[in-house]
Amino acid sequence: MPPTDPHTGGGTPPSPEQKKRRAQAVARGRLEAMRGRARKIRRSVAAATAALFVAAFLGVYVQLAAGHDPALDAAAKRRAAATLSASTSSSTGSGESASAKKRAEARRKASGSVESSSSASESGSTSEESTSEEGSQESSAPSSVTTSQS
Amino acid sequence: MSNGQVAVIATDAGPHLWWLASRAAGIVALILSSVSVSAGLLMGGRVRKVRGTDLRVAHEALSLATLAAIAVHGLTLVGDGFLKLSLADVSLPLASSYKTFWTTTGIVAFWALALLGLSYYARTSIGAQRWRMLHRFTALAWVLGLAHSLGEGTDAGQTWYLAMTAIVAVPALALLATRLLSSRKPSAPPARPIPRTE
Repeated sequence: MPPTDPHTGGGTPPSPEQKKRRAQAVARGRLEAMRGRARKIRRSVAAATAALFVAAFLGVYVQLAAGHDPALDAAAKRRAAATLSASTSSSTGSGESASAKKRAEARRKASGSVESSSSASESGSTSEESTSEEGSQESSAPSSVTTSQS
Repeated sequence: MSNGQVAVIATDAGPHLWWLASRAAGIVALILSSVSVSAGLLMGGRVRKVRGTDLRVAHEALSLATLAAIAVHGLTLVGDGFLKLSLADVSLPLASSYKTFWTTTGIVAFWALALLGLSYYARTSIGAQRWRMLHRFTALAWVLGLAHSLGEGTDAGQTWYLAMTAIVAVPALALLATRLLSSRKPSAPPARPIPRTE
């Protein structure tokens, strides 16, 4: 007994042409399914990319708006450091001018004490010491000059 | 206004929108490129449970999305009013004076990724074997991009950024190491012909 095709209901066996057509239909279906899957994957990747971008943008936006942005924090720190150094240098400049005044005054005092006869040894030594001291103090720490002045 | 409200609106983000967009695009490019490299390495490897065609389509889509994200990353920087970068600064190596080394690293990585990735569409004229050999250098371009993000990225010092980079980059690096190690293994010696005994 010849084998019968179950799809044709056990009638005549499928011709080679029918077999070919059926195989083509199956292949077409598979190709269509593959294309559909590819389309789905592409769409998913595009959607995921857009979602990631929005999430990342919102993340850095909120970080910046909250004042915790790493770049702006670093810039603010640099600015603060620059302001601090500028104020220090300006205070140093005023210290130097004060010390110059002090030095001139000390020189004047010293010359006056040499001229005066009363307590010459005391005042002379003191003024010389103080002048030399002041000179060393001025060179090392201007703030200490100010302190001694006061 | 309470202190809490002051803290919430601490900085006006308006002037920084281009810069924020560039940073966001850079983050997206890093994630996508890492996933794409992982998919590419999985395609060539033996460890795969996903259908080969699906993986190839995903790899292609991720690569194109990566290139788009990098393009947005560079072009939005041109719009930023603070850095004032020109198109040449963001597209030509050594043109920018801003962190020249790391900027150049990023630009070289982008051009390498673009050339090696888009050469896929010309592989018939290049030759499949030659194209495959060239395509291996994409991993190197990705490593350059990774170095650029860690060296120049504004958020590179942040814990969340480092964690995110580790999550996406470590699997890709592990797959790359596996591939390199397996390709270095000496192949089995050819079987000796059995002498005929007559």
